[in-house]
Amino acid sequence: MEAIVPKKEWSAAMRINHWATAFAIVVLIVTGFYIAKPFTIGAGETVDKFFMGSVRFWHIFCGVLLFFLFIWRIYMAFFSRFHADWKDFFAWTDWKNFMKQIKFYLLISNEKPEHNYLYGPLQALAYMGLLFLLLLINLTGLILLGAGYDAGWTHLVYVALKPFETMMGGLAMVRWIHHILTWCFILFIVVHVYMAFWYDAVFKEGTISSMISGRVFRRGHNE
Amino acid sequence: MDGRSNYDETISRQYRELIEHCKSHLEEMDDTLPEPVEDFQTLLQERGISRRSFLKWTSATTAALMLSPLFRPMVAKAAEQFSRLPVVWLHFAECTGCSEALLRSSYPNVDSILLDTISLEYHETLMAAAGYQAEENLERALHDFAGKFICVIEGALPKGMGGKYLTIGPKGKTGLEIAKEVTSKSAAVICIGSCSSFGGVQAAKPNPTDAVSVGDALGITTVNLGGCPPNPANFTGTLLHFLLFGALPPLDSLGRPIWAYGKRIHDFCERRPHYDAGEFVEEWGDRGAKKEWCLYKMGCKGPYTFANCAKVRFNDGTSWPVMAGHGCMGCTEPGFWDTMAPYEKPIADKTIGGGEKTVDKIGAVLTGVTVAGIAAHAGLSAIRHREKDKE
Ligand code: HEM
Repeated sequence: MEAIVPKKEWSAAMRINHWATAFAIVVLIVTGFYIAKPFTIGAGETVDKFFMGSVRFWHIFCGVLLFFLFIWRIYMAFFSRFHADWKDFFAWTDWKNFMKQIKFYLLISNEKPEHNYLYGPLQALAYMGLLFLLLLINLTGLILLGAGYDAGWTHLVYVALKPFETMMGGLAMVRWIHHILTWCFILFIVVHVYMAFWYDAVFKEGTISSMISGRVFRRGHNE
Repeated sequence: MDGRSNYDETISRQYRELIEHCKSHLEEMDDTLPEPVEDFQTLLQERGISRRSFLKWTSATTAALMLSPLFRPMVAKAAEQFSRLPVVWLHFAECTGCSEALLRSSYPNVDSILLDTISLEYHETLMAAAGYQAEENLERALHDFAGKFICVIEGALPKGMGGKYLTIGPKGKTGLEIAKEVTSKSAAVICIGSCSSFGGVQAAKPNPTDAVSVGDALGITTVNLGGCPPNPANFTGTLLHFLLFGALPPLDSLGRPIWAYGKRIHDFCERRPHYDAGEFVEEWGDRGAKKEWCLYKMGCKGPYTFANCAKVRFNDGTSWPVMAGHGCMGCTEPGFWDTMAPYEKPIADKTIGGGEKTVDKIGAVLTGVTVAGIAAHAGLSAIRHREKDKE
């Protein structure tokens, strides 16, 4: 009998990766803005204070975390044993469905686009963009990190990335681009969170809870 | 245990070889270079520099060049040879500020005396000759010292209108022509200052004369002593290195000597502890400024700038910009007039397309618009999809 049944959509690894990335990005945005335009800690003696130092520590900690989460996510896109989803990032190449999706989002048409991929066409495009943003912010972040630490792997990475720094026009420009990318993340998050809630409300498949439980609820047979 | 002693052995062997090389090179120089005009030690005495100060300077310079103390006697010897190295100094599109900074420092330390004795075969600002006579001097220098002299270049090369934005001398040769001719005969080319190294102020946007660095204009490798002006110590150090080893010092990917430009200003700044503590000057002359707090919020570009200003300082180690109370402007970096602006605000306050639009303002507006759009979409969705549910 057909009924509305839970269906596994996300592996545990994917869910951990998602929330760890979300956490890292939020911390990175907050600490990043402090680094960009700090406020003065007036009270107390200099020797007792290490505020900027600690903020930078957490920024760099989460930055390196984000870097490894990014690598892990790319790995899963190709080699996940649950569902390697690299093809789903190209859902936007189906132009007919793409137009249907836009009409549906703009509330022009009530016809639901087909669900042939893990992601919808616009969603796939946005996530591809996100991966690109992540690549750029990791690149610029690692350059900024390496410039200040003349030892260990940060230095090796810095030497390797130096041509990119020169290409961007020096460290100051790298820093500025890093800052611009921060705003791209903020815009992404605003839209992403809204769309998740919207899906949850319109499709009633449990989109929000799926990233926690791993399951969506769809019409079909019990697994 | 074994690995360790092997390593030590290798290092001492390398040192021995380097010292041998250095000694034989200095001797060779003795034979081939023209006789000195004045004896350097006598000159030092005349200028009131004691033997002790000279030794101190030797130690400092040896350390600055990242050499072991074993090299001190050789650095002293190279300093004595300094005036024998023929130099042709060219001026292109620039302000002569580098010459001023190098030759007129008000604290006569050993560096500036070295620069006073430098054997300038040709220097447009300092030479007595003019017109055809000057031209002859240059030609003679190129002939007499072909392959031996050091070509020092101050100023960028404008490429626009076939280089005609810059013509020099009685024959009206363009900067490009002169540079090509002289550098082809020199032993090495040292670009002094931001203009010859990276284009400088005339290469800043919109760069009407299409000015570029000497390296870019001629497609040659040059030593780039970035800075506006660069520290005299970096110039003398580079020449001393050439005298010591007969080779230019190792350069970074932008052609700057690593011994001088290998580390960031920010990482050797005496105000760095205030940065880490979160103590910033908020306004010129405020409490923080009096307590010498970090100048990051006043636009210091130390975090983006590679140079040894904080260590070597200017005017015989008296001071340097951040010590004097203004942030670093990043003048040793390529294109700093454009990339480091605004000079008295953090880089995040860089404006886009003139006017007042910073990334933060644009970002906030875009976020606001997005949120408004979302609110509208949510409202409309509620109406539309409720209707649908009722159907
Ligand atoms: C979503 C991710 C990230 C965001 C939102 C973010 C945000 C920011 C912001 C706003 C700044 C200040 C820029 C300015 O001065 O205008 C900054 C600086 C910096 N970021 Fe990030 N960042 C992210 C990822 C990373 C990563 C992955 C790394 C490195 C592994 C990194 C390392 C740094 C470093 C080293 C600095 C400079 C700190 C300093 O010079 O004291 N960031 N970041």
